[in-house]
Amino acid sequence: MCGVIAPRWRKVFRDIADTPLRTALAVTAMAAGAFGVTMILTSYSVLKRELKTTYSDTRPASAILVLDGGVSDALVDSVRHMPGVRDAESRPVIGGRLFIGKGQWVPLILYVVRDFGDIRLDRFTSDTGAWPPGDGEVLIECSSLSVARAAVGDRVIVRTSDRVERPLRIAGTVHAAGLAPGWMEHAVAGFVKVNPQMTQMNTDKHLPLSASSADQLRLLVAGDTLDEKHIRDVANRVARSIGHVTRIDVPTPGRHPHAAQMDTFLYLLGAFGALTFALSAVLVATMIHALLTEQLRQVGVMKTIGASTRQIASLYLGQVAILAAAAIAIGVPLGIAAGQAYARFAASMLNATITRAMPALWIVVSEVVAGIAIPLLVALGPVAHAARISIHEAFSNDIGGKPFGTRRFDRWLARIHWLPRPLMLSLRTTFHRRGRLILTVATLAAGGAAFIAAMNVSAAWTRTLDADGRARRFDVQAVFSRPYPAAQVMQALASVPDVAHAECWTEAGAMVGESSVSLVGPDLNSKLLALPLIAGRWLRPDDDAVAVINQSVSSLDPTLRLGGDIPIQVNAHVARLRIVGIVKELAPHATVYMPPRTILRVTGKPPGLARSVRIVTRQLDVAGHVAASKAIEQALESAGISVAGIQSLSDSRQSFSDHLVIIKSALIFAALLVVLVGGLGLTSTLTLNVFERTREIGILSAIGATPGTIARDVVFEGMVMAVLSWCAALIVSIPITFALDAATGQMFIRSALDFYMSPLAAAVWLLLVLILAALSSFYPARRSARLAVREAIAYE
Amino acid sequence: MIHVQALSKTYETPAGSFSALRNIDLEIAPGEFVAIVGKSGSGKSTLLNMVGGIDRPSSGSLRVGGRSIQELTHSELASWRGRTVGFVFQFFQLLPTLTVAENVMLPMDFCGMRPGSQRRRHALALLDRVGVADQADKLPSALSGGQQQRVAIARALANDPPVIPADEPTGNLDSETSIAIFQLFGELSTEGKTLLVVTHDREAAAAVSRTVTIVDGCVA
Repeated sequence: MCGVIAPRWRKVFRDIADTPLRTALAVTAMAAGAFGVTMILTSYSVLKRELKTTYSDTRPASAILVLDGGVSDALVDSVRHMPGVRDAESRPVIGGRLFIGKGQWVPLILYVVRDFGDIRLDRFTSDTGAWPPGDGEVLIECSSLSVARAAVGDRVIVRTSDRVERPLRIAGTVHAAGLAPGWMEHAVAGFVKVNPQMTQMNTDKHLPLSASSADQLRLLVAGDTLDEKHIRDVANRVARSIGHVTRIDVPTPGRHPHAAQMDTFLYLLGAFGALTFALSAVLVATMIHALLTEQLRQVGVMKTIGASTRQIASLYLGQVAILAAAAIAIGVPLGIAAGQAYARFAASMLNATITRAMPALWIVVSEVVAGIAIPLLVALGPVAHAARISIHEAFSNDIGGKPFGTRRFDRWLARIHWLPRPLMLSLRTTFHRRGRLILTVATLAAGGAAFIAAMNVSAAWTRTLDADGRARRFDVQAVFSRPYPAAQVMQALASVPDVAHAECWTEAGAMVGESSVSLVGPDLNSKLLALPLIAGRWLRPDDDAVAVINQSVSSLDPTLRLGGDIPIQVNAHVARLRIVGIVKELAPHATVYMPPRTILRVTGKPPGLARSVRIVTRQLDVAGHVAASKAIEQALESAGISVAGIQSLSDSRQSFSDHLVIIKSALIFAALLVVLVGGLGLTSTLTLNVFERTREIGILSAIGATPGTIARDVVFEGMVMAVLSWCAALIVSIPITFALDAATGQMFIRSALDFYMSPLAAAVWLLLVLILAALSSFYPARRSARLAVREAIAYE
Repeated sequence: MIHVQALSKTYETPAGSFSALRNIDLEIAPGEFVAIVGKSGSGKSTLLNMVGGIDRPSSGSLRVGGRSIQELTHSELASWRGRTVGFVFQFFQLLPTLTVAENVMLPMDFCGMRPGSQRRRHALALLDRVGVADQADKLPSALSGGQQQRVAIARALANDPPVIPADEPTGNLDSETSIAIFQLFGELSTEGKTLLVVTHDREAAAAVSRTVTIVDGCVA
């Protein structure tokens, strides 16, 4: 083999092999970059593809027609044959609650399936246990089993809105990828089979399917299933044809119910992928700079004996390519494996499954190509510079740098005399090697900025959650099955000792354009709601026919602006209200706040009715709120008020918080990845910096510096770089945080998050960077200091 | 062989411009063995670097082997250097990761001299000539200073260049080895090579055919 390979290429291989530690550091740093980018790209591509596939595999309904009354099989069959309809299925929905013990209930949605052997739309699959369920049995959606606090085979009590409690046996679990995860919604979803008695009469034995439930006809349109207008046209035509349709819901075509979370999450993955990519590119540049600096003398020798610029450049580019190939061989497979694991985890958060975890071939190929091409591109400049350097400069061992004292900053540094001389030397060396300093600081700053930004955005979400919590100053809210006189509600609550203050609110559903919105009418003297205003003002006691909308409503239509009108449609009647304020709240649901009397008027209800109550309890802790909820519910039920749902604020905050889990997981994942890549990069860079100084360390030893002194000074130099990088990271993290706050907030809650720089993030990164700097400087410095002086000075 | 006319070299330093060479005129015939002497910092190494194509003059003219150095491009200069000049350094400057034989083969490799299959044979012949053939497959670090300098000379001869500049080639060697190295240079001169040696070694300087003394950047 030796006879075949030219000596110059043998030099390349030997340089790599004979300096195993340096090679390992360079390969590790590059592999860390390749790992990070590959991991993010893999999880991004797998999730994007699989989430889409998982959702579309459920054959999501294009439109859901809510009917007043039952839907017969014959009607479903006739709808299936209507023009523009590809398929139809009837799936009534029963709302209720499920008992989870200790007097507590959780919301329950039961889907009544006519034929488990012929599920055409919004499909779900058997997960564990029986299929189909028998009479008196239910299949629970697997992501909500934990919310039900039950296991397969258990009997649970359900209470439907007819206030009758019935036992149901959990016969098994199913996976319904089209539903939002139950643990996130804090609600249980179940599937039961249709029973003939359901549609005839309500008995204690059978689930009711009349007044308390809604029959739903699900449609899949023929033609373009992603064209919302087309879907509405077909749905309206079907509705006109069959009559008694009370509402038409058209879910955003092709969008999973948690698509906003997915978008935010994928955006974060993409953004941090780009940041990791930038970090790895800077890392590679640093490695190459270090490699070339220590090879300068050899460049000089080779040029002296006749090597051309092109030959020198090809040698070092070849070396970079070999190191990059090794880094890819390690980083890419590990990155793919880690990306797949993360994709599985993230999919489970979104109630999806990964059926095919391999990233697309083009991604693997482009990662490999980029893994070689980027180091080569990054190396091109420094290699060309080193290859063109004059022999004279090469022997003077300074890669084109100006001598110390040439720059104004050098002269300023030279005037610092109060530091101990060895520390002064470290400081001047740090700033003299400008190229090395810039690259090292840039590497560390890129990592630091990404880490700090991830922590900042995470903190911004927490603060948004906290701010929303502070804006809602009640402990418990109860929603009734139908409106009741406020006086009756207040009288019922007067007997509950735990109730310190209660306010009856009016609520209703309505449409704005083609979107459904909630109308909420808080007590106009309410002290229990103080949502932050984006524009305008809050409701006043003397207000009528005005509305305050939240940011989700304002994003429905650009004409919904402060001072403009909002058309509220209830049944066929449209009321136009003036928008006097826009508030920001965490719930992405579109809500219009209106004076209660206005809501009652537009919904055609008499004055004095309330649909819900907000209560401040005398209890201070979560357990106290839960106990109070039970007492409140009992009192309301005793007074003949049917409670559809009761929730403590801590529970609803937990639900909000659970919706953020996926976003926070992406941010923590990004932060950890950056710590890994940045930490490895930092360690490699600083260690190589010390190697570069071996000759200088030899001279210091020769003139009497002890290994301890040398190690201390080199560690000081590492610390100076660490602190500089930290300052740079703080500055760079500002625009990154700003952009991420705006983008993720807009995607998820339709409003930018309030910008926040987390002092904790800055402190953690400072600590981390100082510890890593100390560790990665100390050991190589001590090693260099222990080299015999002759060896150190002769160090190549 | 070497024609130097009104050659000057100025370096820019933080302390201001520094003239290393001023208005040098020098003629060296083929086969001459010339010692360049002078005090430290007088400019003798700078002159050697100019002649060897390592550094470029600031002004004046420099012709070596009929080629005007300052007219060559960067890449032409590299190729010219590989074929025309065989530089010898004080600290040998062998590449530490290549064996002795590979170090000697490297200039042939860079300049494409001789077919690949013949390069090792030629390297071994040169090593034999300088008396270190038995060390051919060792790494430079396993050799003594004298042996390393002999390898460096073998490397300098690899492409059979007509000019051999040597910058204090014995500065790092004991006196016995120094004498042997100068004897070797003498033989090369006899064979027609033009040798320019910067040296402080008075005894060694006695072996040369001519001595050029540089004082403050000028020929004395």
